Amino acid sequence: MANKQHMVQVQTENNENGQNYAIEMRGITKTFGSVVANKGVNLTVKSGEILALLGENGSGKTTLMNMLSGIYKPDEGSIFINGSEVSIDSPEDSKKYGIGMVHQHFKLVDVFSAADNIWMGRENPGFVLKNERHSAIEALASTFGFELDPRKKVYNMSVSEKQTLEIVKVLCYGAKIIILDEPTAVLTVQEIEKLFSVLRRMKEEGHAIIIITHKLNEVMDISDRVAILRKGEYITTVNTSETNEQELTEYMVGRKVDLNIDRPVVETTRPLLEVRDLCINNDEGATAIDNVSFYIRGGEILGVAGIAGCGQKELCEAIAGLRPIKSGQMIHKGDNIVGLSPKQILEKGISMSFVPEDRLGMGLAPSMSIVDNMLLKNYRDCKGPFVDRKSGRADAMQVIKDLEVVTPSADTPVRRLSGGNVQKVLLGREIKAGPNVIVTAYPVRGLDINSSYMIYDILNKQKTDGVGVLFVGEDLDVMMALCDKIMVLCHGKLMGVVHAHKTTKEELGLMMTGALDLKDKYEDKPAGIAKDTRFGEQEAKEA
Amino acid sequence: MGFHIVKRDNCPLWQKCCLYIGAVLLAVVIGGIVLLSIGVNPIKYYTRMFTMGMIGNRIAHVTFMNYLKKLVPLVITSIALSLAFKMRFWNIGGEGQFIMGAIASGFVALKWGNVLPMWLSLIIMCVAAMLAAGLYGLIAAWFKVRFSTNETLMTLMLNYIALHFLMFLSERKEDWNFFLDETSARPKFASFSQFVKMPTIKIGAKFELNICVIIAVLVGVLVFLYLKYTKQGYEISVIGDSVGTASYAGMNVKRIILRTVFLSAALIGLAAACRVGTAGILSTSITEDVGWTGIIVAWLAKLNTGIIFLASALICVLQQGSEVAASSFSQVSSSFANMLQGLILFLVLAADFFTRFRIARAKKGEKNNG
Amino acid sequence: MDKIGVLTQFVYNIVLLNIPLLYGTVGEIMVEKSGCLNLGVEGTMAVGAIFGYIFGCYANSLGVGIFSAFLMGALCGLIFAVLTVSLQANQNITGLTLSTFGLGIYFFVGHSLKAKAWPVMNDYAGVSEGFQGIQIPLLSKIPIIGKGLFSHNILVYLGIVIALAVWWYLNRTTLGLRLRAVGENPAAADSVGINVKRMKYLHICIGCGIMGIGGYYMGLNMSGSFNSSCWINGYGWIAVALVIFANWNPALAILGTFVFGFFNALPVSASSLAMAFPKGLGWLAAIPSQLYDALPFIITAIVLIATSIRNKRGSSGLPAALGLNYFREER
Repeated sequence: MANKQHMVQVQTENNENGQNYAIEMRGITKTFGSVVANKGVNLTVKSGEILALLGENGSGKTTLMNMLSGIYKPDEGSIFINGSEVSIDSPEDSKKYGIGMVHQHFKLVDVFSAADNIWMGRENPGFVLKNERHSAIEALASTFGFELDPRKKVYNMSVSEKQTLEIVKVLCYGAKIIILDEPTAVLTVQEIEKLFSVLRRMKEEGHAIIIITHKLNEVMDISDRVAILRKGEYITTVNTSETNEQELTEYMVGRKVDLNIDRPVVETTRPLLEVRDLCINNDEGATAIDNVSFYIRGGEILGVAGIAGCGQKELCEAIAGLRPIKSGQMIHKGDNIVGLSPKQILEKGISMSFVPEDRLGMGLAPSMSIVDNMLLKNYRDCKGPFVDRKSGRADAMQVIKDLEVVTPSADTPVRRLSGGNVQKVLLGREIKAGPNVIVTAYPVRGLDINSSYMIYDILNKQKTDGVGVLFVGEDLDVMMALCDKIMVLCHGKLMGVVHAHKTTKEELGLMMTGALDLKDKYEDKPAGIAKDTRFGEQEAKEA
Repeated sequence: MGFHIVKRDNCPLWQKCCLYIGAVLLAVVIGGIVLLSIGVNPIKYYTRMFTMGMIGNRIAHVTFMNYLKKLVPLVITSIALSLAFKMRFWNIGGEGQFIMGAIASGFVALKWGNVLPMWLSLIIMCVAAMLAAGLYGLIAAWFKVRFSTNETLMTLMLNYIALHFLMFLSERKEDWNFFLDETSARPKFASFSQFVKMPTIKIGAKFELNICVIIAVLVGVLVFLYLKYTKQGYEISVIGDSVGTASYAGMNVKRIILRTVFLSAALIGLAAACRVGTAGILSTSITEDVGWTGIIVAWLAKLNTGIIFLASALICVLQQGSEVAASSFSQVSSSFANMLQGLILFLVLAADFFTRFRIARAKKGEKNNG
Repeated sequence: MDKIGVLTQFVYNIVLLNIPLLYGTVGEIMVEKSGCLNLGVEGTMAVGAIFGYIFGCYANSLGVGIFSAFLMGALCGLIFAVLTVSLQANQNITGLTLSTFGLGIYFFVGHSLKAKAWPVMNDYAGVSEGFQGIQIPLLSKIPIIGKGLFSHNILVYLGIVIALAVWWYLNRTTLGLRLRAVGENPAAADSVGINVKRMKYLHICIGCGIMGIGGYYMGLNMSGSFNSSCWINGYGWIAVALVIFANWNPALAILGTFVFGFFNALPVSASSLAMAFPKGLGWLAAIPSQLYDALPFIITAIVLIATSIRNKRGSSGLPAALGLNYFREER
C-alpha cells in the first residue's frame, strides 16, 4: 500500500531530526467579531505521540483545530509543520500538509455511499468512476482495522458507523497528523477500546495525533501529553505520566481563590418542579438524559454539575417544552407539564434561559433591539393589537441600569453587544417576567468576575423571593459556594444529589467522570425523589 | 494571498448610502457607454428618460397620471411581498396572486357592475380580489408548513397555472364565459369601464388624482405600522430572525406563517383590484410583471416600507421614461429600461456584499516571519 | 386525412418544438447540482438566442452560432456565479434579475440594431443547411417514429447527446461525484479538499452555456429574422419546472421533455388529430389549449408536493444545499 510506505518514511524523517515537531502553533489568536475564541495559543505535537487537547466547552479547542484544518484562518500567529512555516488557506492546503480532521459534527454527504464519501476527496482517482472503488475502499479500510460496508448510504448509518467512516476517510487520505474532535462522545465502550487500539497503532507507525476531549479517564488512558485551554487561552502542556486527574481538572476549570459568594439561608417550600425517570434523546437520536429524577423547591438553588455535553442542553429544552421527552414525568406544583406547549409552560411561571456557545442561539432574536428582545415572552400580555413598547423600553432601561449593560442605546440590536452584555439582557428579561422556577444554563459563560458576581446576586435575590432555581454551571467552586444542592450528571445519568456545603470538589469530580455513584447512598431515600412529593396530587387530579 | 473575507458586525449608514448610490451611478454610467456605442448621446437620452419627457410638454399631467397608474400596483405589490419576505418566506408567486385577484375583481365587475351602485361594486371587487389572491397564496404556505414543500418553486408553478387560467378565459368563446365581449366575434375581454371605474379627485385644472394612489399610500402606512407596532408584526420579525427563538417564546410558528402569507397575497390582490378598476378591462398582460419587479423592488429596498416607495418610483421612472424616450430615439428600444434595471440590481447586490463582509488582511507574523 | 401522416407529424412536432426545453433543463440541472438555484434560465436562453442568431448569420455558419450562443450563455452564468458564489448574493433575486436583464438585452439588441436591417436566417446557406434534417440511416425508415424521431436537425441529436453525456458525467465520473457533493453538503466537500468555489463557477458557466444553445435553437426553429415577440416565450420557466419533474436526472429530462412536449404539441396538432381519428380522439378538439399549456406546471406542482410528502432521503435528486450560499467561516 502506498500509504504504508509513506508512514515509514515519516518515521525515519523524524528519527533524523527529532527536534522538529510535526505541528507547532505559535501565538495563535482568532476573534469572531467581538468574541475572542483563541488568544495567543501555543501548541506542539510530535510525530508518534498522542496529544490530548483538554478544555471545557467554549474554551476554543475546536476553533483552534479548525485553523489547522483550514476552515478558519488565524488573525495572528504562525503554524509550522515539520519545522517549516506554512500558511493554511483552505482544507485543500490542510490535506496537502497531511493534516486530517474528524469533526465532531460529521462532514459527510448523506445521500452518498460510504465509499463515495471517501472517494470524492481522493487524489488522482481517475476521471471515470469505476465500480471497483467500492472494493478498493473496503480493502483500504480493512488494512486500518476497520470493517466498512462500502455501499451503505450514510443516511442509513448509525452514529457510530458515521464516526468510523470519518476516521477511515482521514486515514485513507494518508494523513500524518490526525485530529479527532470529541471522537468518543458517540461510541460505545467496546468501540472506544477499538478506536484507542487503532490510535495506538497509528502512533506506533509515526502519526501525530491530537484528540480533543474532556473525558479525563480517556485522557489518562490514551494520551502522551495533555495541552489545556481555558476560555480561549493556553494554560499549559503536561506529560500525562506526570500528572493526575485532579491536577488536570484544576487546570481545566481554573482555580479561583477567595471565592466569596453569599448563600443566604431561606426557608424552602414544597417541591415546585419535580422530574421523575426522565429520558430524552438528543438531535442525533442517541440517549441524552437517561432515567433522571430530581426536584427543586422554592427558595433553593439546585446546581447541575457535569462535564459539558452530557445532557444539560436537552434537559433544559425538555423542561421548557421545546424538546419531546421519551419517557418520564415532569410535575409543576402538582400539575403535569409533559406535553404542554412552550407557551403554556411559560404561563405556568417556568422560565428557561440557556446560553449556548455562540451566546445567541436560543432565546434572543439577534438582529432585534434590546427593547424588542425584552418583549419576547410577554408581548401578548397587554391588551389590544399593538405591542407595548413603552413597558418594553422601561424594562430594557431597568435591565440596562440594574445589570449595568454596556450598550449605545436600548435600540441597539443584540447582535452588536458583547457576550457578557447579551447574557445580562437574556437573564434580565427572564427575571423581569417574575417566574417561580428559573432554569438557567451557563449564565456566566465568558463573563468577567464582576459581571459574574452580579449574576450570582440576582439569582440569590430570586432565591430569597421564594423562586426555585436550577443552575447548570461549569465552575465547581462557584457551584459549591452558590448552590444549596448539586446534582451530578455523567453521560446523561444521574450520579447523585449532594449538599453543596457537605461535599468536596474531589467528590464532585469523581462523580462527574462516573467513578463515584451516590445515587443510592441513602437506602431510605433514592437521590432526586422528594419525601414530600406532589406526585400524589397529580394522580388525584387525574382520577 | 494575504487576505480573506470576514463577516462584519455593522456598517455605518453613510457608507451604505455611498455604496448603494455609487452602484446605481455606476450602472447608469455603464448604460451610458452602451448608448454611446450605438451612437446615441447618453446625456440627451437620460435627460429625456429621467424626466419622462415632461419638461416643456403641454400634456405633462397625462404622462404623470399614467406614471402613477403604473406605480400604484407596483408599490402595493412590493409592500405586500415585503411582509412575506420579512418572515423569510420566499413568495415569488406575486404574478399568480395578482392574476387571481384580477380575475376575481373582473368577475365582480362584469357580473354585478351594472346592477350595484358603483361604490359598492368597487368595494366588493377589492374584497373579492383580496380573498382570491389570499387563498391562492395560502396553497403554497399550507404545503410549506405541512410538508415543508419548497415555497419558491411552488409559487413559481402557481404563477403559470394562474396565467394560463387567465389566458383560457381570454380565448374561450363560450356562452358561459361572461368575461368576453359578446359583441365581438373574436374573443376579447369585455370592458366594464362604463359601470365601474376607480374614482378620481380633481386637483387643479387638469390633474386628476386616482383614488388608488391614496389606497397605495394608505397601504404603505398601514403595513409600516403593522410591522413596526403590532404584536403580529412583532411575531413576523422574530420568525424572520430566528425560528428557534420564536418557538422558544411560545409562538405558534405555523399559524403565523399561514396568516402572514395570506395577508401578503391578499394585499397583492388589492393591487390587482386597483389595476383592474383603473383599466376597466382585463387583459392577459394585466400584471405588467409587477409580481417579478415587486420582488426586486422589495429586495432593493431591504424590505423597508419607506424605501419601497422610493425604489418603485425609480423603477417606474425607468420603465415609463424609456417608453417615452423610445419615441424620440428610434434606435433605443424601451427594453433598455429592463437592461438598466438589471444592471442596477446586479451592482446593488455587489455593493451589498461590502456592507456585510469586509476583506481582512492577515496580520504580520504569518508570512513575514518565515 | 392520412392517419399515418398525422401521427408522424405529431411525433415529429413533439421532438422539434420541445428540444429547447431539454437544453434548458439539462443546463439548469447542472447548475442546480452545484447547489445554486438559477431562476434566470429565461434570460440566459434569450441572450444565447440573440447572439447566436447575430453571430451565426454574420459568419454564415451554424457552428459559430452554436458556439457564440454557448459563450454568451456562459457569460450570463459568470455574472450569476460572481454574485452568488463570490459575493454571497441571494440566489432567487439574482436569478430573477438575470431574467429581466437577459430579456432586456435581447430586446435592446434586437430593436436597437434594427436600423441595419435584420438578416433572415434562411438566406444564409451555412446556417439553414446546417439546420436541415438529417436522416439517420435505417432507423428513419421505420413508419411513424422513423420520420418522427430520426429525421431531425443536428441540434436535436446534439441535445440528446448532451443530456446523456451530462448524466454520465454526473453519475459516472469523479468530477461529477464531487459536483454532487458540493450541491449536497458544501462543508463536507470543502473539508476533503474539493475547491467548492471553482466547482460552482465551472458548472454554473457550462450549465448556462447549454441553456444558451437552447435559446439559439428556438430562434433557428422560427428560422426567420428577429421580430418584436420573444423567441423564448416562457420555455425557460418550463425548464425550471422540468428540472423538478425530472428529479434532477438529465436522462429523465429527455423523457420529461417528451412528456411536457406531448402537451405542448397537442394544441398544435389537436385539430388534425381529432379530424384523423374522429372516433377515438374527437374529444381532443374540445379541450382548451390553455389546459395543455398549464399542464407542465400543474404536473410539476404535484410532483413537488409528492416528493416533499414522501420526503424519503435518497429517493429525491434535490441537492440538499440548493439555494444556500456557502461561506466557509460560517459558525
